[in-house]
Amino acid sequence: MLIVSAVFLVAVPWLVPAVADRFWVNVMAEILIWSLLASSVNLLFGYVGLLSFGQALFFGFGMYGVAIGVEKLGLGFWPALGLGVAAPVAMAFVAGIFAVRLTWHYFAIITVVFSLIFYFLALTLKPLTGGDDGISFTLPPAFRFGGAEFGFASETFQYLFILATVALCLYAMRRLLASPLGKAFMAIRDNDVRASLIGLNVYWLRLAAFVMAGFLAGLSGALFAFFGRYASASYMFYHVSGEAVVWTIVGGAGTLLGPLVGTSLFILVREVVSTHWQHHALIVGAVAILIVIYAPRGMVGLWRDLLERWSGGEK
Amino acid sequence: MSYTLITLAINGLVWGLIIALIALGLSVIFGLLDIINLAHGDFFMIGTVVAWTVLTSTGSFWPAFALAPLVGFVLGAIIQRIVLQPIRNAAALSIVATFGLSMILQEVVRMTFGPTPRRILPPVPGTIDLFGIQYEIYRLFAACVSLAALAAFFLFLHRTKLGTWMRAVRHDRDTATAMGVPAQRVYMVTFGLGFALAALGGVVASPITTVDFRAGVDILPFCFMAVIIGGLGNLPGTAAAAVLLAFLEGIISSFASPTVARITSLVLMSVVLLLRPQGLFKGLTK
Amino acid sequence: MNEAAKPPILRIDGLTKHFGGLTAVDGVTLEFAPGRLHAVIGPNGAGKTTLFNLISGFLPSDEGRVFFAGQEITRLAPHKISRLGISRTLQVKSVFNQLSVADNLWITAQAKRGVWNPFRRTASYRESCEKVERVLEQLDLTALADRQAGTLSHGDIALLEIGMAIAAEPKLLLLDEPICGMSPAETARTVTKIRELAQTIDIVLIEHDMEVVFEIADDITVMAQGAILACGSPKEIAADERVREAYLGRPEDEDYVEEAVRA
Repeated sequence: MLIVSAVFLVAVPWLVPAVADRFWVNVMAEILIWSLLASSVNLLFGYVGLLSFGQALFFGFGMYGVAIGVEKLGLGFWPALGLGVAAPVAMAFVAGIFAVRLTWHYFAIITVVFSLIFYFLALTLKPLTGGDDGISFTLPPAFRFGGAEFGFASETFQYLFILATVALCLYAMRRLLASPLGKAFMAIRDNDVRASLIGLNVYWLRLAAFVMAGFLAGLSGALFAFFGRYASASYMFYHVSGEAVVWTIVGGAGTLLGPLVGTSLFILVREVVSTHWQHHALIVGAVAILIVIYAPRGMVGLWRDLLERWSGGEK
Repeated sequence: MSYTLITLAINGLVWGLIIALIALGLSVIFGLLDIINLAHGDFFMIGTVVAWTVLTSTGSFWPAFALAPLVGFVLGAIIQRIVLQPIRNAAALSIVATFGLSMILQEVVRMTFGPTPRRILPPVPGTIDLFGIQYEIYRLFAACVSLAALAAFFLFLHRTKLGTWMRAVRHDRDTATAMGVPAQRVYMVTFGLGFALAALGGVVASPITTVDFRAGVDILPFCFMAVIIGGLGNLPGTAAAAVLLAFLEGIISSFASPTVARITSLVLMSVVLLLRPQGLFKGLTK
Repeated sequence: MNEAAKPPILRIDGLTKHFGGLTAVDGVTLEFAPGRLHAVIGPNGAGKTTLFNLISGFLPSDEGRVFFAGQEITRLAPHKISRLGISRTLQVKSVFNQLSVADNLWITAQAKRGVWNPFRRTASYRESCEKVERVLEQLDLTALADRQAGTLSHGDIALLEIGMAIAAEPKLLLLDEPICGMSPAETARTVTKIRELAQTIDIVLIEHDMEVVFEIADDITVMAQGAILACGSPKEIAADERVREAYLGRPEDEDYVEEAVRA
């Protein structure tokens, strides 16, 4: 199953235009980018038990890191990407120091508050961030081989680069979850009291997870900036964070591929539906509610349950 | 610019009272049902839309004062029963459900009411001489109505059986149930009441704000600020915090942009969350 | 081997805890000698679990001090106390529900060694893995190793909890009502295990089941209303008038007390 989808994903830039408009290659690329944001929510919620409604903050830092890096600082592709990742990680560390001390209700709220503060800051600091209108920039190339340039200007390259990045991140997450650190995270998720009783330092572990999630969200934002050659404060609003949470939960929190599944579903629906009907947000809301009531473990969870039942599952 | 300062300060007070009403609804839902209601701003928005609809279809604004809370209450109770009750034990999922609800409400309004913002003219027109400036009479009226509604709410909480039940469940769910309080009904009423309060706030505010499907988005963070700074479960504290915050923002807006004012409140909220999560007004807890 | 000369594994000095107007633990002063199985008994609300909470750093004490193997641990954080060698189980059985039984044990074993590696597979940590195997065998849980902990029966979860407590390689094990809610068969099994463990680890046990207590404990401390009522060997406790009074109204306990006296 996994191999088939992997092959499919790699073949997209050539496969898709054969059956549909080239436009859909970009849609797939966008899905992959947003799935990273969902993965950041998933890491925190599905594996550590912290619900963050403010990942858009780090997305924004990544996005602006790249945009400001290229536009205002004249950085090349790789340095800008580096900035687009370093800035959100730093911010996640600083924000996390405070946020992670709180119990989960207040944690959720403060993640929103932090993201709002910076959203408003981004709006006010127009000269730097372009406010709501945002900054556009021209894209520097990523690689130079001899005389040839490879960069996001090429749709195919762009898609493959993003795919490679996302695949790398998912692989890293898989390693993480099989490692002591991953088990420690999950122990905290299941029972933070017990975790501290067995000698785990819950605070630092949560902070580490928060920083890692900040990395994922920031990377997502950085890729997004390169993808759209554009950055805008509106992407830092809590609505963006909220949607990422919905995608994660619908896809299946606590599973590796859940975020990707959820993101794909919603973005595909959005693209398909919005050509005929502009009120697809209704579907998003309705699906969110239905899943939460009837299939709280999300689609991947449902799939796993089905598999178990078919194989006469080991309970 | 003391002229602007006074206007903004009083505006702040007026808004504060209206927000107090809305935030109270949020606080009651948060305190009793353990739900972070991300759709609460949209409840307010529904109130404004009801006001506009009543006005345009009957030519009179006043029925909205009764209709909006009623609609809110019924909708709220139904939503609690159908959507929230099944997931009562998974608090994280409740947040997601309210987020979904928020999207649905906004989209439904966008579909029926349309995407363009409308304005309602104040039903009580004219200005009055106040502290040396000309101040809109309607705003003062709005403040009085809010105050009255707040008073009525607290009376309800402390003098009626239903109100007592609500307080009992908030204080100790299990004991209350053991003593025969119908918890399920209390939950429905609570959510309905929260919606109703927000909707009432919407009606009161509609002539001084725009009627727009996105109106709730701005209100939501402010309500949360009031709830957190006032103290979770501390209803008078929430009301007081709402008034204080709005007043503060009003004053700051007179010499800096409203965005800066908002940032200040948010920072204040963060500080409270981090240092004193039980809120600033602990002593006023009933 | 003069046992009386050995320093106590745990020494509590004037420990006090108030909850608002209620004094849950009142000036408790106690010593637990090493190499003996101690039981703390008392009617509900006597403050036994609160005492455990204070010792393990779960609750800060208002007054008093706690010494573990000679070292003061009064103000330390729970995870630090755990690292020093005190393990406890909780009254309400709670494990890591979504992790497998084996993982529950693994993370407990590894927690103190260091978990800060996001790259190595857990299976490559030989020491912890071996310990998990040993504990699984010790408690007859090997068959359940890959089951999700949350799906276990009540009795098995309690065993797992004990397993986790052992996996942490403690010097002192605090067991809070380990056989609460178990069937007679499970109880017998657990009691045997506890006896085995007591040979290598110092154990302090809170229990309500008098039969078990009088069967396995070397020393018994009786608490009532936050304070120590009596302290001594099972025979001494059984003969103590004050203890009988404290348990008045609990005929099934009285019977055991009677029997122990006659024994």
